Amino acid sequence: MKKQSTVLRILKNISQQKSSFVFVILCTVLYSVLDLFLPIQIGKAIDTLIGPGNVDFEALFVILAKIVIIIISTACLQYFSSVLSNRVSYNAVKKLRKQAFEHISDLPISYVDSHKHGDIVSRITSDAQVLSDGLIIIMTSFVPGIITIIGTLIFMMTLSPLTGAVVIVLTPLSILLANFISKRTHKMFKVSTSILGEETAYVNEMITRQKVTSAFNNEDKAIENMQEIDERYKKSNLLAIFFSSLVNPSTRFINATVYAVAALIGSFSVIDGLLTVGGLSSFLAYANQYGKPFNNITSVMSEMQSSIACAERLFEIIDEPKQSENVDSEVLQENGEVRFNHVYFSYVKDRPLIQDFDFSASKGKHIALVGPTGCGKTTIINLLLRFYETDEGSISVGNADITKVPRDTLRKNCTMVLQETWLKSGTIADNIRFGKPEATDEDVINAAKAACADSFIQRLPNKYDTVVSNESGNLSEGERQLICIARAMLHRSPILILDEATSSIDTRTEVLIGKAFDTLTSGRTSIIVAHRLSTIKNADSIIVMKEGRIIERGTHNELISLGGLYSNLYKSQFEN
Amino acid sequence: MRILFNHMKKYIAESILSPLFKLIEALLDLLVPFVIAAIIDNGVLKSDKPYVIKFSLILVGLALAGLAFSVIAQFFAAKSAVGVSSSLRRALFAKIQSLSYTELDKAGTATLITRLTSDTQSVQSGVNMALRLFLRSPFIVLGAVVCSFFIDVKTGIIFSIGLVVLSVVVFILTKKTIPLYVNTQNSLDNVLSNTRESLSGIRVIRAYCNEENINKEFNKNNEALNKIQIFAGKISAIMNPLTYLLINIVLIVMIRSNAISVDNDLLTQGQVIALYNYLSQILVELIKFANLIITTSKGIAASKRISAILNIEDSDEDVNSDILPENGSVRFNNVSLQYFGSSASTLKNINIDIPSGTKVGVIGGTGSGKTSLVNMIPGFYKATEGDVFVGNHNVKEISRKNLRDAVGIVPQHAQVFSGTIRDNILRGNENATEEDIIDSLKFASAYDIVTKKGGLDAVLSEGGSDLSGGQKQRLTIARAAVKKPKILILDDSASALDFATEKDLRNQINKLTDTTAFIVSQRISSVMHLDKIVVMDNGQICGYGTHDELLSTCPIYKEIYESQIEKGASA
Repeated sequence: MKKQSTVLRILKNISQQKSSFVFVILCTVLYSVLDLFLPIQIGKAIDTLIGPGNVDFEALFVILAKIVIIIISTACLQYFSSVLSNRVSYNAVKKLRKQAFEHISDLPISYVDSHKHGDIVSRITSDAQVLSDGLIIIMTSFVPGIITIIGTLIFMMTLSPLTGAVVIVLTPLSILLANFISKRTHKMFKVSTSILGEETAYVNEMITRQKVTSAFNNEDKAIENMQEIDERYKKSNLLAIFFSSLVNPSTRFINATVYAVAALIGSFSVIDGLLTVGGLSSFLAYANQYGKPFNNITSVMSEMQSSIACAERLFEIIDEPKQSENVDSEVLQENGEVRFNHVYFSYVKDRPLIQDFDFSASKGKHIALVGPTGCGKTTIINLLLRFYETDEGSISVGNADITKVPRDTLRKNCTMVLQETWLKSGTIADNIRFGKPEATDEDVINAAKAACADSFIQRLPNKYDTVVSNESGNLSEGERQLICIARAMLHRSPILILDEATSSIDTRTEVLIGKAFDTLTSGRTSIIVAHRLSTIKNADSIIVMKEGRIIERGTHNELISLGGLYSNLYKSQFEN
Repeated sequence: MRILFNHMKKYIAESILSPLFKLIEALLDLLVPFVIAAIIDNGVLKSDKPYVIKFSLILVGLALAGLAFSVIAQFFAAKSAVGVSSSLRRALFAKIQSLSYTELDKAGTATLITRLTSDTQSVQSGVNMALRLFLRSPFIVLGAVVCSFFIDVKTGIIFSIGLVVLSVVVFILTKKTIPLYVNTQNSLDNVLSNTRESLSGIRVIRAYCNEENINKEFNKNNEALNKIQIFAGKISAIMNPLTYLLINIVLIVMIRSNAISVDNDLLTQGQVIALYNYLSQILVELIKFANLIITTSKGIAASKRISAILNIEDSDEDVNSDILPENGSVRFNNVSLQYFGSSASTLKNINIDIPSGTKVGVIGGTGSGKTSLVNMIPGFYKATEGDVFVGNHNVKEISRKNLRDAVGIVPQHAQVFSGTIRDNILRGNENATEEDIIDSLKFASAYDIVTKKGGLDAVLSEGGSDLSGGQKQRLTIARAAVKKPKILILDDSASALDFATEKDLRNQINKLTDTTAFIVSQRISSVMHLDKIVVMDNGQICGYGTHDELLSTCPIYKEIYESQIEKGASA
């Protein structure tokens, strides 16, 4: 059922390029049919060469002329069919890939958080690739294959019904055998692939942690483990490769036997005067040709299976429900007001995380969130920016319920520096300009200076044009944070959110950056999540969280005199 | 290539027998047209049915023998290919294990992984294909031509000319398409990195309302991929029709010339059919051969990439010596360090002498060289100038194993391995007893993780993704502690711990009287109570002493102190 609908969807997608698709099929059918006439003509040509002094040159030239026409048209049609089928399938897959990718921006973040990124990536890249290759093979091999089989059958039956019947009966043997072998080997390949997966995962983990292994003298142990997995892989892989490589020799053997039988019966027919010598030659050519499409079709079948599987995986992304539609029913005022109204939230249904979270910040206030790891500080930020939706209660920004304004309007009102120092691959300048593509070079440099990032950027080989990426190791964690801060410096808005934004930066630099933020955000509301208590001491209000609830709130001095969790945390840094 | 052949030596018998058996199979294939010609000329035309039966049976016999030879050949080829690639993979993995940090930095992680995985696979298919077809295909093609000479010299010449033209065409087209496939692969890589980025950066992208730009960029790369795929498709689409056309032109020329020969009694009808058969065989094998060239050239390229790693001459090779560090003392003597590929020194003129058992704090700004300093103690990087002494011996004279046995380091970036908690701790010391493991976990305040996860044998997920940053840090501290090293180094590895936990850890470290400890931190509170503090600034030591000494002698230290602790707030 699911399979059928997937096939229908692929077809629907392809049929959007109707004229090209029709043309592909037309060309393919035509050239396959034309190609079938070739052995007949060659047979006829050979029939004109009866013996010494007995060659009908006139007839031969007519036949040769026919052959020339056949081969030229076949070659042209084959070329068109191949080029067009490439275009049709690549275009179809390009569209699917585009749909899937663009759909990612509409997915709720919870989907992306709860799925392995590698899996989504492989759906959009390698699965799409397998699908396009599969479509091409289906178009260029399946149709000609079927036509060749039917055509050769007809020709063989007309040439010599008896021999034809024998060939028809015997040839399926090779398919049966091929099927038998591939079914067995499929299992072996599955085993071998899963061991390879295990080995790749091991190698991946070890190489990315190579320095740790080296630091703890674990090299020998690592080699030993790797070789143990590799030994298993080697054994299973040898079996899989060997048995799968039996398909060709054994089908070749069956085809050769069929060929011998055809030669025997065909020769008898010639002796009995039922067939000409040229006819025998054509017949043998057909017998040879007849076996091949069967092999092709078996491989096309498996190609089809994997194409359908890949298409399904691609459609799964496209069909994933989008995040809720944007509503535009309230007006967000750019005044920096933030209010959480008895908010409840959990990532997992029966494991409540945020409970009865209630606070408000008026314009220009500095609010700090403090608490042990896992208490839900980052979750509050996720909710405020509507990365996740509240289960109960509401959040308002600028006197508007955040679910009643478009997400973009909400997010343009907030500048945030997140815990994760994500950098886009590109130059440093591109990264700083990320939220404001129209910023001039001067703006970029000023932002970097404010973020204390200019001095280290100047030391890099290509300065602001140095290429960085999320994976590249040419920057330290602290330097990456400085770039993220510069990026935020360019994006001015009434609300500033800092989630552990300076955790890897030394405290002297942090003070300088803090001053820059103060001038930027004067009169703006800021919400700061930080581990270091020195960072947040000057906040107007400190909210202390534990297990998703607010347990203390007040200014630094109030909380210290309260003598609760905050004062314990604060004092512990000076004790020894 | 040389390395490839070296690894092939282990499978020398298989590597020779496989192509040889394939050759015999090919030889048997070549006999088929002869038999058919004999059937027609001696059997059919003379109406000799027993002769036809006999020779048809010979055809079946040939097929059977062919089957036997090719099955054996396939087995040998598979064994050799799988064996060679496995042997290369193991050698490569072992080589990577032996590389110094400098060489690891030079090579880069991502490329090492692709070389270990996809490149060894390419070598495997290359070897497999080459053993199976490299002798067979050219042999059949040449054999068919030679046989045709035996039947009719003129046809032989026609075939030879046709073959040369065909080979040139196939060669040119193959050469044109290979770089196109490389380009396609590169375009696909762009699409892949776009997709990865859109997922890993999803929060930042949405926070900055950048979805449209990201989509635009993807569409640009998607279009580029599409264009190059279609273009590459156009070029490779020429291959089949063109070879088809050429071979049939040869056929027409052949029939035309054979017609005259038959007319002049130089050739029989059966022989014409045999020649036609040879022509078909040439076509089939030529196309196989073109595929073979692509696969083997990919395999050769891959083996070159593997050799490049295997041939690395380590600039920081391990020394072979029995010298053991005597104690936990550390001395830097005029040390400078410049990383490979960097234009300036990261550390300059470091001079410091730390007696065994001292607890040393290291503090300084972002990029001041704290990590570089402590990384020189276990010899991760060797001094460009000057010498580092650990336990009264120059680190250049101590073997890697002995040096690293003496030093337990907790790197900045907490990396745990998949496996159980126990496995992770045992990486520090594989001979540790149950008690040692529990002690070290308690030492690092990490025992609560064991309780939460359900015991020492609880399995951690890949990369410890089910652990918080603080939990990972505590496990890595326990991993270093279980070694009971002479020198313990914590490189900013308590940053995710709350102050109370960190204080407990510090107390534990102070109890290890014989152990020298280095605690790198950004927090003044983490280092201020230690025996000595090293203040780093811009690759140099700008202060060394106790907290009180430094407050009066080192302005940078004072500044750091004041930025973190309000005057008078210190209790």
